[in-house]
Amino acid sequence: MGSESTGDFLRQLNIPIQTTTLPNGLRVVVSPDRAAPVATVGVYYNIGFRIEPHGRSGFAHLFEHMMFQGSANAGKMVHIKLINSSGGMLNGSTHYDVTNYYESVPSNALERVLWLEADRMRALKVDDDNLRNQRDVVKEEVRVNVLNQPYGGFPWLDMPPIAYRNWANAHNFYGDFDDLDAATLEDVQKFFKTYYAPSNAVLLILGDIEMEEGFKLVERYFASIPSGPQPEPANIDEPPQLEERRGVVEEKFGTLPGIAIGYQAPRRLTPEWYAAAMLDQALHGGRVGRVYRRLVLEQQIAVDAEGGIQYPVGDLFDYNGPTLMVTRLLHKPEYSADQTIAAYDEVLEEMKQQGMTAEELDPIKVKFRSNYFSMLEGGHGAHIPRYGLMHLLACFTLFDSDPHLVNTILGGFMEVTPEAVQSVARKLLTRSNRSIVIRQPAKKGAV
Amino acid sequence: MASTPRSENQSAIPALSPARPVIWPPRARTTLSNGIEVVLVESHTIPKFTGQLFFRSGNAVTAATAPGLADMTATVARTGTTARTSRQIEEDLRRMGADLSSGAGADNSVVSFDGLVDFSNELLRLVAELTQQAIFPAAEFERERRQLLEGLKIQRTTPGFLASERFRRVLFGAHPYGTISPTEAQAESYRLEQFKDFYARYYRPGNALLVMVGDFAPQAMHEQVEKIFGAWASGSVAEAPNPPLPDLHGRRVYLVHLPGAVQAQVLVGNRAITRKHPDWLRLTLANSIYGGAFNSRLVMNIREEKGYTYSPRSGAHPLRQHGYFSIGAAVRNDVVAATLTEIFKEIEGMRSTPVGEDELADARNYLTGIFSLGLATQDGLAGQLATATLERLPEDYLETYRERILKLTAGDVLDAAQKYFDSANAQIVVVGDRAQIESQAATFGEMEVYDAQGNRI
Repeated sequence: MGSESTGDFLRQLNIPIQTTTLPNGLRVVVSPDRAAPVATVGVYYNIGFRIEPHGRSGFAHLFEHMMFQGSANAGKMVHIKLINSSGGMLNGSTHYDVTNYYESVPSNALERVLWLEADRMRALKVDDDNLRNQRDVVKEEVRVNVLNQPYGGFPWLDMPPIAYRNWANAHNFYGDFDDLDAATLEDVQKFFKTYYAPSNAVLLILGDIEMEEGFKLVERYFASIPSGPQPEPANIDEPPQLEERRGVVEEKFGTLPGIAIGYQAPRRLTPEWYAAAMLDQALHGGRVGRVYRRLVLEQQIAVDAEGGIQYPVGDLFDYNGPTLMVTRLLHKPEYSADQTIAAYDEVLEEMKQQGMTAEELDPIKVKFRSNYFSMLEGGHGAHIPRYGLMHLLACFTLFDSDPHLVNTILGGFMEVTPEAVQSVARKLLTRSNRSIVIRQPAKKGAV
Repeated sequence: MASTPRSENQSAIPALSPARPVIWPPRARTTLSNGIEVVLVESHTIPKFTGQLFFRSGNAVTAATAPGLADMTATVARTGTTARTSRQIEEDLRRMGADLSSGAGADNSVVSFDGLVDFSNELLRLVAELTQQAIFPAAEFERERRQLLEGLKIQRTTPGFLASERFRRVLFGAHPYGTISPTEAQAESYRLEQFKDFYARYYRPGNALLVMVGDFAPQAMHEQVEKIFGAWASGSVAEAPNPPLPDLHGRRVYLVHLPGAVQAQVLVGNRAITRKHPDWLRLTLANSIYGGAFNSRLVMNIREEKGYTYSPRSGAHPLRQHGYFSIGAAVRNDVVAATLTEIFKEIEGMRSTPVGEDELADARNYLTGIFSLGLATQDGLAGQLATATLERLPEDYLETYRERILKLTAGDVLDAAQKYFDSANAQIVVVGDRAQIESQAATFGEMEVYDAQGNRI
């Protein structure tokens, strides 16, 4: 994202980054780029839906909604109104291991964005009406995205209970309605106190701001927020998987059978992780990927094939615990699930037996690099410039304590060899390392 | 950093500082001798470029005989050329670090692409090949057709699709805009010759617009474009048909029965205007205040106060020949009537009372601000340029957009609401399980009931 005009795609990235940590523990990353008069601000808390309380499935996400309902000096509606009326967009999202809140605004509104984020980091001010209201909103969100859609939640909500044994990884992240109903205002304040302390967060400012000015504003609005205790580390480990796991889920609306296959993926930043990223691109990676080419284009058993690490609700970079490399297939009803899986297995066997050549891997690296640039610049629709850069900086800070990885991480992928890809394929792509969800269309009776 | 914080009154919202002006990047707009319009803009955010090659003919052209034909033509066009097989095309794209997609809407067919600037010459050559030398292999066509047919079946179980399909049919009737998708039978009857014919007729330089944004020097890029596309023999094409529209008088309700639905998809609205109409910005602003923004009246009411729905939104939708205004929300089954009541109540508010100065200023700020955000990425900038150029809007349309928004008054908003929020003649579509919602919907007008296949029941 440098502003010089050069087309050398191999050049070293040099995104300007400076960091600091306030006395209350808040980590801060500033990355200026004055080309356009807009700025993006994010606050990432190191809490995702894995470690929400037992008996409160869906709570991390419900809580995210509550963060828009009012804080110490900005009551209900003020958050949304303040950002929109300043010409900006805002949102938040809950992931496996982080929850984020972000705004993109014309840069003349930057100071009030920081004021707002500081206000809700300081104190949440919400009541029972707010909680009732957002519980209703969240239920309609679950209905519109999952319960009332063909293939809703497939496989991101179907896979965890089949693939995992630790409740943290295996439960319903969108929330059972009984659990959503059981949530109280006390739960909300307790969750805030436990996970939303400054020391459990990183603040990011990107775009039209000078470094010094950015840090001055951070000091002004965030330094006086009291520190809080760090949350106890949660146990999100999985016991070793010893055999293939399978489950069947009914598809209520859609007409085609679906199959999702997930392999436990390596821990982030390990040598295997870099190689697995290249393996993932070789197998998935759109129409040119081996799975799509074989199953959809050549054998024509499936009509759709997609996949990736943490597919479809995360990516290679934003997890910090057990995760899967997932393939999602919709196949023709004239083929059985077993036939489809057998054809899929052949694709994987070839990779394991014969590996890949440099002629295949080199273009994959070019494409990976190209995708990485696009992610840095946008990554989240037209109105949140640099969302992807923000997201990476946040994850590298919270998980790896090193935001500068954003400039150097590509190197690790470029060094992966064909042998390393084959080796990781042999290790990961085994039956005892995988889980399979079959999404079976309901028998249509007379209506 | 200093460790002693300056004391601040945390309860005071910081004022906006003076806005920095948007600096427009240099733009080169030319027409090649064979008629292709070319728009090139520098943007050095990343060492990539993004482009769209449009043909101003889409599904509307053949809607009467073969709906969706333009879309399928664009899809199959990427599966083989005189020089490359389908597999070579996909592998070449990856080698260039490029993504490419092709498709068609009602008004345009388009090949969209992005890639590393190092490979721009090669990628443009491939785009030229796909749009001039596609051979439509029969086996690829049959495979795509089967994928389409399966997709059409799934579409008929998707509430959002069913609502849009019925809504557009009601608003536009037998006009091409009244059909948003082929039926399975229509897709079954596609013949390869139809694609070749559409391609030969409409993929012509005189019908084309090439927009590119990226990390390049416009002069050098222009020479490259001229070299690659300049030799394409010229040719222009006929406009899409524009048959008369149905007369719509009074509110009517259309219920689409989706057995087992656990939520109701509501879609309400009326025909409106295109982007070329002098009232377009007035309508845009009125829509933003009514239901176009998170901070709008409708969202505040039925989401933030009442909790009926997750993502209610209204929109003004411009097509080339006509436009429409719509309000959509997926709501829980027992509040269908309550939702419609609030939708109409908020419309009456917009039509009867001028908006206050604060709300007006907030909405103007919103539109001008998100416009600037939309220019900050290569994709966003390309999208804005494509919109302005495709519809042949005035040359300074984008540069003057924000000042024209800032001049709008409460009177303009009232005027637009009265003209284009046509409450008395609103058409109401509700998709859901009939038993759960029928009696609620029926109180809003004379009702017709359809099944998910589109048959009246």
